[in-house]
Amino acid sequence: MHSEPLNDRNVSEQSPYYYVDIEEYPTTGWDKFKQVVKRTFRGELFVGLWVVMRELVKFNIHTVKYPLEKLPIGPRYRAVHKLLRLWESGYERCIGCGLCEKICISDCIRMDTKIDENSRKEVTEYSINLGRCIFCGYCAEVCPELAIVHGQRYENGSEQRSHFVIKDDMLTPLDFLTSGQQTEYPGFGSINPNESVTKTPLAY
Amino acid sequence: MIEFTINNQPVTAKKGETILQAARKAGFYIPTMCYIEKTTPCASCRLCVVETDKTDGLILSCQTPPTQGLAVTIDSERLQTERTNIMRMYDVNHPLECGVCDKSGACDLQNKTLEFGVSTQHFSAKEQHRKIEHWGLINYDPSLCILCEKCVHVCNEIIGDDAIELQFGGYKSAVIPKNSETLDCTFCGECIAVCPVGALVSSKFQYSANAWELTQIPATCAHCSAGCSLTYEVRHTSNLLGAKQKIYRVTNNFEVATLCGAGRFGFDFDIQAAKEESVFEKAVSAFKNAKAIRFSSLITNEETLILQRLKEKLGVKLFNEEARAYQSFMDAYSSMSGKSAFSGTLDAVAQSDAIIVLGGRISTDNPAVRYAMTTAARHNGAKIIYMHPLEDVLLQNVVTQNVRYEAGSEEGVIAMLTQTLLEGCDVDNAIKAFLESLDEGYLCAESNVGNEEFAQILKSLRRAQRKTLIIGSDVLSHKRADNIARLCALIEMHTDFSLIVLPQTVNTVGVSLICDLDRDEESADVVGYNAQGDFVIGSMGECVLAMPSLNQQEGTFVSINYQLLSTNVAVAFEGYCLNDIASSLGVKALNTIDYTVQLPIQKGFKAIGFDALGNFYGGLGEDNRGYMLETMDVAVEGELEAIDDLPEFNGTVVYRCNPVNQFNAYTARTSQLEMDTSLRGSVQFATAARISDGDSVTIEGYAGARVFVLDETLKGTIALFPTYDIAFGGAHENYRFEKIKLKRMGS
Repeated sequence: MHSEPLNDRNVSEQSPYYYVDIEEYPTTGWDKFKQVVKRTFRGELFVGLWVVMRELVKFNIHTVKYPLEKLPIGPRYRAVHKLLRLWESGYERCIGCGLCEKICISDCIRMDTKIDENSRKEVTEYSINLGRCIFCGYCAEVCPELAIVHGQRYENGSEQRSHFVIKDDMLTPLDFLTSGQQTEYPGFGSINPNESVTKTPLAY
Repeated sequence: MIEFTINNQPVTAKKGETILQAARKAGFYIPTMCYIEKTTPCASCRLCVVETDKTDGLILSCQTPPTQGLAVTIDSERLQTERTNIMRMYDVNHPLECGVCDKSGACDLQNKTLEFGVSTQHFSAKEQHRKIEHWGLINYDPSLCILCEKCVHVCNEIIGDDAIELQFGGYKSAVIPKNSETLDCTFCGECIAVCPVGALVSSKFQYSANAWELTQIPATCAHCSAGCSLTYEVRHTSNLLGAKQKIYRVTNNFEVATLCGAGRFGFDFDIQAAKEESVFEKAVSAFKNAKAIRFSSLITNEETLILQRLKEKLGVKLFNEEARAYQSFMDAYSSMSGKSAFSGTLDAVAQSDAIIVLGGRISTDNPAVRYAMTTAARHNGAKIIYMHPLEDVLLQNVVTQNVRYEAGSEEGVIAMLTQTLLEGCDVDNAIKAFLESLDEGYLCAESNVGNEEFAQILKSLRRAQRKTLIIGSDVLSHKRADNIARLCALIEMHTDFSLIVLPQTVNTVGVSLICDLDRDEESADVVGYNAQGDFVIGSMGECVLAMPSLNQQEGTFVSINYQLLSTNVAVAFEGYCLNDIASSLGVKALNTIDYTVQLPIQKGFKAIGFDALGNFYGGLGEDNRGYMLETMDVAVEGELEAIDDLPEFNGTVVYRCNPVNQFNAYTARTSQLEMDTSLRGSVQFATAARISDGDSVTIEGYAGARVFVLDETLKGTIALFPTYDIAFGGAHENYRFEKIKLKRMGS
């Protein structure tokens, strides 16, 4: 849909905007009484009911049968977070720099890191308290490794909201990665998973 | 005074000061990477270059003293180019791992790189594989190292371990352990503190938190009596670990102060407890029914004052034999010298050029004193005379003369020392008569210290200007401590020696000033506060009611220097504290720190509230921590007693002495410090006690078993017996040499 004509908010011949024809409001008691009688006995209710009856017998339903059907959601939608893995190695992308924890304005990210056996930083615990999260997206924006991203899962129905947000829930499972199911947000710096990716050589 | 100019502004420098020091004092900024105030200049970074009117080339301001009338320029285009080029060199192939590096946010290299705007690398070198070294508590990543040499300098000049050195090899240069495969040192961690980048880091801390997300809590170390300044760095843990505050590491102001390994790595001794009213009621009634309160000197001044108030209100006795020994030693000292406190300080030790240490194992009792001694030896070439029945391997680098006397003969040794040092001094007749009446032959024979050794001491002291006598804690618990104190006072009064006495526990001095202590007697109904008793409260051992540890309390300590130092809460404590108990007994205060202002003025304290106390060092190293206690005048009425017969210690004798970095039950329960509880002795001891290496033995009077370890570095027949891990059974109040009955287990 073209939005250009809508940008001109002035009501004119060229503009799609026009004034709605609204009848005068009744002022006297008699006029008000007449309006009530008119609206009550006009039978407008049956106009709407007729539409429903007509559509009922046509069996051409536009309603999305949620939860069996789901509408596709915009790629920028900020739903429950995900932690991604590196395509080439399967390692976790998160380097544990702690920036998301620091930037989080509702202070709901907590993490623990330690040194692993290869002398690299390892994230041992990562949690987001969804009871506090306002889904502002700062964590995903600040992440230097595109490790924490917002996923598409907007359904937060469970016995406890905390069920979504421990590291194991957010991290892409390895079989998902190998079967190519890790979705990539097509933003700046992201890779195209269809390209062949190889490990960066560490030795010269 | 030398007058010169910096950027055409007049500046004065003291004699011996460098251009850099004078510039900093006058408020000028000269960038440095390798400079550290407390050591000799490393002169490796060359960032501090300045121009002068008398030289063509650039000179290093960190090691050049100014001359009269010199015109120094510290910021010209040429200098800027020079410095920027140096920074470019530093940044060549520096790993771009700031995102995970522990130093990020507090990194000198980061700061200076930004300051000089180095955004690109104009040249490169072939990257090489460098192995990350794991040296116990310390990890070393050579690829991050910028070879500033600060670590090598502090290790050698301040600590005295001399454990690391620079391996020169151009681009392959690195810091390596000296004369050893792996790092063999006392693990003070000072190299970690001074490292400007993330090359040397604490292995337990590495990658566990970022420097910029830690809350810094200024405090005072709770382990020994030196009262070193330290900063607890605190952060929350993850939700799965309880999201509680936790101490992640300890740092210190390494530019001016030094911290030992116990302070730096022994920080996680906090405990947790919930409020249980029934137990609290029991504790209150235990206090009500108590005849005495026994407590340890691991306590703040404020709580000590609460105990003193409880004594006044409830009429209970206060037992603390260790502090009482120090109190009576100082009373005897004051009765002779007329002053309430001795004249020496740790700073004075560091500036001395002659030091006599008597009766204490300095390197493990009080590392701060050891560091001050090392500084004196390295910077002033100080003569250090170490008088003790046991030689100390850790001090062998600095000690110039070892004098080994027989255990127990301290009184005789100090009498002879007094005679030696007071020779030719103008003293009154009573003292003269006392010195002449000494039975030299007997004292020398029994103490096993010959006249020639005293002659040599005198010879070493001949040229010295600033002398210090350090009295260790062996003497405090000696049977004849009072007379020893009077003799020490004599030396201090009549010679140019300053005196410093080393109490054992963090606040022994404070307790001795605040409390009227009673002689400990076995009596019923004793409440123990971190001490033995019928009802025990506290933060160590088996306590009925848990109390906050010293890193969970705010309050003050009095250090060796007679300086009042404040400490703060690093980790919150949910349970009750002593003030709650006292408040329900009628000694009321809202907070424990309300007592700070009430500390006894007649003992030298000042009427300053807790919140008005500073706890930091200034930019130029000014000490803004707490305040110095005033030295009071005391009536001179002490008289020397004749030297008693010197006691003999034969058979299986042990010396109660903890291993490096271990002091008390607090350090014993920390996670990083090495837990060595073995009885260490020489071959001679093993023969005398009829035990061999690896035997498990029990010692009469002490709980638990010890493993005997044959230590090649030890000489003589006295074994080292650590007691730090025994919560209340450290026996600090007894003389540290002890004849024991050993029992080999399984025989």
